[in-house]
Amino acid sequence: MVVNNLKLLVGGVQLRDGVTTVTDILGKMFVRAGLHVLAMEKGYASTIYGAHQYDPMVVSATPPLSYGDDRSDILVALEFDTNPDAPIQPNRDTILRHGKNLVDGGVLLYDSTTGTVDTGDLERRGVKVFPLPARQIALRELKREVVKNTVVTGALLRLLEFDMDLALFRQYLEERFGRKGKDIVELNLEAARRGRAVIEEVLRTNGWHDVGYRLVPQPTTGRAVLLNGNDALSMGAILAGCRFYAGYPITPASAILEFMEAHLPRYGGRALQGQNERESIRAAIGAALAGVRSAVGSSGPGISLKVEEFGVAGVTETPVVIIDTQRAGPSTGMPTKPEQGDLAMAVFAGHGEIPRIVLAAGTIEECYTLAFEAFDLADKYQCPVFLLSDLTLADGRRDVPEEFFLKNRRPVVRHGLLREADLRQDGYRRYQITESGISPRNVPGVPGGIFKSSGSEHDEQGMITTDPPKRKAMVEKRMRKMQTYLKEDAKPPLVFGTPDGAVLLVGWGSTRLPLLDAQARLRAEGLETCVVHFTHLWPFPTHLVRPLLQRGKDIIVVEQNYAGQLADLIQQECLLPTRRILKYNGRPFYTSDITGGVRQLLTNGTRVVRVGDRAPAVVLETVPEGD
Amino acid sequence: MSTAAVNQKLWEQNATPKHRIQWCPGCGDFGVLNALKAALARLELMPHDVLLVGGIGCSGQIRNYLNGNAFHGTHGGALAYALGAKMANPALTVIALAGDGDTLAIGIENFVHVCRRDPAVTLLIMNNGVYGLTKGQKSPTHGLGMPQGVSTEEDPPFVDPLRLALVCGASFVAQTFSGDPKHSADVLVEALRHPGFAVINDFSPCVTYNKFNTYDWYKEHVEHLPKDHDPADMQAAWRLLDEFDRKGKLPLGVVYRHPRQRTAHQRLPLWDEELADVDPEPMLRLFR
Ligand SMILES: Cc1ncc(C[n+]2csc(CCOP(=O)(O)OP(=O)(O)O)c2C)c(N)n1
Ligand code: SF4
Repeated sequence: MVVNNLKLLVGGVQLRDGVTTVTDILGKMFVRAGLHVLAMEKGYASTIYGAHQYDPMVVSATPPLSYGDDRSDILVALEFDTNPDAPIQPNRDTILRHGKNLVDGGVLLYDSTTGTVDTGDLERRGVKVFPLPARQIALRELKREVVKNTVVTGALLRLLEFDMDLALFRQYLEERFGRKGKDIVELNLEAARRGRAVIEEVLRTNGWHDVGYRLVPQPTTGRAVLLNGNDALSMGAILAGCRFYAGYPITPASAILEFMEAHLPRYGGRALQGQNERESIRAAIGAALAGVRSAVGSSGPGISLKVEEFGVAGVTETPVVIIDTQRAGPSTGMPTKPEQGDLAMAVFAGHGEIPRIVLAAGTIEECYTLAFEAFDLADKYQCPVFLLSDLTLADGRRDVPEEFFLKNRRPVVRHGLLREADLRQDGYRRYQITESGISPRNVPGVPGGIFKSSGSEHDEQGMITTDPPKRKAMVEKRMRKMQTYLKEDAKPPLVFGTPDGAVLLVGWGSTRLPLLDAQARLRAEGLETCVVHFTHLWPFPTHLVRPLLQRGKDIIVVEQNYAGQLADLIQQECLLPTRRILKYNGRPFYTSDITGGVRQLLTNGTRVVRVGDRAPAVVLETVPEGD
Repeated sequence: MSTAAVNQKLWEQNATPKHRIQWCPGCGDFGVLNALKAALARLELMPHDVLLVGGIGCSGQIRNYLNGNAFHGTHGGALAYALGAKMANPALTVIALAGDGDTLAIGIENFVHVCRRDPAVTLLIMNNGVYGLTKGQKSPTHGLGMPQGVSTEEDPPFVDPLRLALVCGASFVAQTFSGDPKHSADVLVEALRHPGFAVINDFSPCVTYNKFNTYDWYKEHVEHLPKDHDPADMQAAWRLLDEFDRKGKLPLGVVYRHPRQRTAHQRLPLWDEELADVDPEPMLRLFR
């Protein structure tokens, strides 16, 4: 019997079967019971209806680091046949796709409303199969189709011998639907009981005592929440003082816009759904110019369209936070699949040169903490600050203690915004040349200061000029901000383990947890590694990074893109050779990708391993090293 | 000295000195500048309460030729920056000053939707029928008054900013001529008092590149609106535009003004003390 450690995958038809309704309820109940939940790959499609959707989830006694590999212990297939005579049975989609990854001796639960499915192959591997006519029970017995997911939930709770008296479930329902009426609570409880009864029946007829997996509540030290990176980032932004947010709908950034529309007004702010990408960023710049902490969020193609405005924010020294929840590109690429392909764009995109800061969150918690940092840095340095997230983080959910959010909150400090009293002295210059590169900032509307600002080159007063000495001084003033930043605010990468003589596993973004997981597994195999993970990517903190990386034996950069964009930056800035494990097939990094990749790199001396299904596992560089 | 005269002085401080204004001698934009200063002075606005958002073009330079807060970013962007600034701080008087190319070519995406959104922003289109700053290429309003041949892909008929604004839902639509700065100032005063988005098409001759739509040509073709025109009547506005077309004349005045009164939004929280003590509970509750 495996207790408090299992991997579950729920699959079905997008929008029809309520895949995430099931995983959301289960996840929240497990978290309430003190268990830890990680659901880092929300498989969905950019078509709306009818596509396959799946949601894998790890539940365990200690916080899980990653899904590990693509194998599951329990598979739940929510599809049912609309047409039982169809040559390809649609209710087998989840089973066909994910059944092969079900562990021997695992569990399959599927909706058998329109008949049972041939699961002989799986049964020969010891899989315990539970047909559950969930939809039929909901429709025929309870007369409410919506409760089909509750039937499934009840069944799963029984399978896992969790909350057998449905006390936790009742509490959850009462909190959620209490206001809508007792009837809804009772109906759902009844649905759960019917699901449970079906499982009892299958267990009895097969003479099974249990299914081999059990979840047991654990004592908790405090309340925890289950949320994704977009949620954490939105919450962080609001608490960091963001009061204007603009976006144009795009997966997976839309959720931030929706969150902001729902919550900003409560805090006196406003969200704007722009009519296109450019209106969004321009309006965000306009609001920032008026003094408000302001952000714009988008994903790949939307960020591309905003590039012209990066320069505006940089040259007019307008603080604006630009959030990029990366997805697989180029062009429309794969809108619902993860990739870390936009680092180069964040660092380099735009004509001319501007100061900019690029941060990237590595965990859901960091989506929250870096939001504070992004707004503070934007205010302090008066330049665009990029906050990179990626689809894996944006949509992936994980339990986080509520305490974390309260403890890591910082008070809002508006760096150097001038007030009326500060403006009394004569000759206010918006772009005053200073040693730090940072000029005193006035906002329109404050008596005593006139704010002249221009995207064209300007003098200290903000008046347009092409005078060579003035131009030179102004470029240097702006770029000096980056020196100041490197001195005062740059952070070295996070280091897990000791770099001395070790193989360094270097990454950024959502690869953090899989890297740590890989580190643990490699250690168990006798290979000590050190994980080096970047959050502050630009200006590149060379002075902090180079000495660190030099202490390692081998620098292996693990990234979800084809080129190795961080690896290139490291080579460019530190003049150190890097080796690379790259994945770009649209699936997140699994621990097994990393452990396998490291073994290949170390045994056959190649410089690049490209992992993921069907991609060639090893690419021997055709260009020889050296001369 | 009258108060208005004192105020007019106020609008000349902090600005690029007269001798460094980089418009061609005789450019229509000088008339626009005078009218703008007169209107701002007449309304007794204080420069620190005004935000002038310029376009990219000769016309957009105007923002630095008078006092007041000034900003410009990219070609076509003026209205969207203005929208964001106004949403953030409704107490600011926000005026966008852009060319016809800026507004109706590259910036048309913003124009169409800002008309619909109807923020209390004033847009002054300095319409000269050409791209002045890039040395005279045709703008979307090019061809006004010229004999229309068979239109081709390369040379489509000109865009009429008044009709476009009406179609897009602008709540104040007016036209004026920089050769008549008194009229321009009157129209601007009305526009700045309007509680929604105000579009003014200001004919501002480009003496260097538009040799057809000259001051003399305009003087011959403009005509003030009849006294009895009711700007609150949308149908009357359309009829009027058609009538003037038939006469071969360009109407000057307020063509349409929606009678709606709107209440402004609050200024968004800005200072540290306004942002302190925010309760995260309603957000956390969602994830329990
Ligand atoms: C993205 C971009 N494209 C092109 C230009 C070049 N450009 C500068 S001003 C201008 C047109 C100006 O015409 P208009 O808006 O009519 O103003 P005018 O100069 O006639 O007053 C163009 C195309 C630019 N600055 N940015
Ligand atoms: S080119 Fe035309 S629009 Fe530009 S300043 Fe000269 S006259 Fe005015």
